[in-house]
Amino acid sequence: MGIHIIVCIKSIITNGLYERVVCSSDSRELNPYDRPVLEVALRIKEKRSGTITAISMGPESCASALNEAMAMGVDRSVLLCDPALAGADTLATSNALAAAIRKLAPFDLVLFGARAADSDTGQVGPQTAVLLDLPLVTGAHSVELKDDGLIVERSADGFLDCFEVFFPAGLSIHSGANRPRDVGLLGIEVGFEERKVKHWNLADLDIPANHVGEGGSATQVLALSRVESAGKCEFLSGSAVEQVEALINRLSTSGIK
Amino acid sequence: METFLSEKHRTIQRSVRTFCQREIQPIAKEIDQEASFPWEVVGKMGKLGYFGIQVPQALGGAGLDTVGYVIVIEEISRACAGLGLCVTVHNSVAVYPLLAFGSDEQKQKWVPPLAKGEKIGAFCLTEPNVGSDAAGIEASAIRTDNHYLVNANKVFVTNGGVADVCLVFARTDANTGGKGVSVIIVERGTPGFVVGDLEDLCGVRANPVSSIRLYDCEIPLDNLLGKEGMGLRIGLEALDIGRIGIAAQAVGISQAALEEAVRYSRQRYQFGVPISKHQAIRMMVADMATKVDAARLMVYRSAVLRDQGRSFSKASAMAKLFASETSSEVTDLAVQIHGGYGFSKSYPVERYYRDARVTRIYEGTSEVHRMVIAKKVLGD
Repeated sequence: MGIHIIVCIKSIITNGLYERVVCSSDSRELNPYDRPVLEVALRIKEKRSGTITAISMGPESCASALNEAMAMGVDRSVLLCDPALAGADTLATSNALAAAIRKLAPFDLVLFGARAADSDTGQVGPQTAVLLDLPLVTGAHSVELKDDGLIVERSADGFLDCFEVFFPAGLSIHSGANRPRDVGLLGIEVGFEERKVKHWNLADLDIPANHVGEGGSATQVLALSRVESAGKCEFLSGSAVEQVEALINRLSTSGIK
Repeated sequence: METFLSEKHRTIQRSVRTFCQREIQPIAKEIDQEASFPWEVVGKMGKLGYFGIQVPQALGGAGLDTVGYVIVIEEISRACAGLGLCVTVHNSVAVYPLLAFGSDEQKQKWVPPLAKGEKIGAFCLTEPNVGSDAAGIEASAIRTDNHYLVNANKVFVTNGGVADVCLVFARTDANTGGKGVSVIIVERGTPGFVVGDLEDLCGVRANPVSSIRLYDCEIPLDNLLGKEGMGLRIGLEALDIGRIGIAAQAVGISQAALEEAVRYSRQRYQFGVPISKHQAIRMMVADMATKVDAARLMVYRSAVLRDQGRSFSKASAMAKLFASETSSEVTDLAVQIHGGYGFSKSYPVERYYRDARVTRIYEGTSEVHRMVIAKKVLGD
């Protein structure tokens, strides 16, 4: 039995910042920051045989993100899909994911993206790891496989952290950790036609209904609105020398050195 | 717009578009100007399955349907029409006949390396005196005890400069007109196999279109595709599919021109406003977008009919005619919207304008397609 890696991915809403979006598969795609995460999993699997399971939570229209993960090379996938899961904040989402991951045990590694391109909280990975009592390194840039664990590097605030972690463990992967592979046509055919997305509902998760969905959420979004940029364009006049002097003067008085 | 496409097809579109934006678009201008074939990118395309789009998985292909095929061709052509041409000709008129008419031994021998892009295929029909009237082929394949002695002068061979496996149309019977034409599989490197100079073309310049001449090439009898005398049937069946690919290529060129025209018209100011605010430009953009959409729908219809196992010959002829004529109109308007800059190599619409022109000529001219369509409509 090889290594078992679970990758938590998100199907994000595209154009949400610009228009009112009707949620359908047309307006969704795999979170681009999850692609490097899948790449980390696939590279580990290339070195050591095993299984990669991708999981996600959302309505049926999110299934295609899992198909795409399977097109990249993920072996199987599970969509947590139930009306009772709707309206979840990051805590309720983490509760559902943790319940699903427990059900998928045994596992060696649980991977998360550092953030999502739509909501951008970065909370689900850390919260899920806490619920599962997993050690977690966030924002990992490089991952080196050892016999019973990993050497993980992350850079933060001008320092390079280097950690040794033992399985089972959790990682959130920095979006710049690698260049994700291109998805080939054969992979897409297999990912969409041959490998099927498994669906789990609330009953499958063995978790109280008040821990998930809107009822299980500790926070509620009251309003969401777009912030208009107040940038303005100003032309400096005079000769080229006068314009440069005016520009330097303007920049230095605004605090730029 | 394409909301009726399945999740799988949208994923194909997105993944090929992403690859082309990153790998092909940055070099498209250079490989057009220098008329060079980008081997490194082609190698990557091979690994992603672009050279075996509809080849069964057991033979090393991706096993996609025809809708998936036209999406791939449109996206590659949107970035570079010359590479789109390379891929569609390889898949449709070089690999498809091997799949449809080849023996199991022939398929096992030639298809897997072609499907992976390790070898590139070509279709050698056109001769100096033979174009639309394929029955007049002059190349000869004389059968001896253990081989065919092939002599041929093939011109305007797409992929000719790089092709490893060529389907050569040659006369095995000198006296029976079109019924005496057969297809012989000829490999590069065979003694007597000569690649002529590359054509210095107006458009699709990244494609190494060349002549191929065969001087007393001794080709094993096992390299006969199908049976003797089946050549024109094989050719016509291959061209039925090939013209869907060329139509998809034309749509890709048109789409690229439309996008550039829209972008430019929004940023070019005249009379104090972006020119996109002028009614004359708006009318052009509306016509361009509508025609590109109609052409694409016709291509999709042909592909769906083929995937459903229904007759698609008329639909694909109409799609090829309309999409290629549309590409000339749309690229012409894109140049017009750019004004003087559109006539300069500084902007890509000049390339699209040149690339579009040949889609009305190859794989059946517009006139031949009108003949085909009229015959089917009039039933005579």
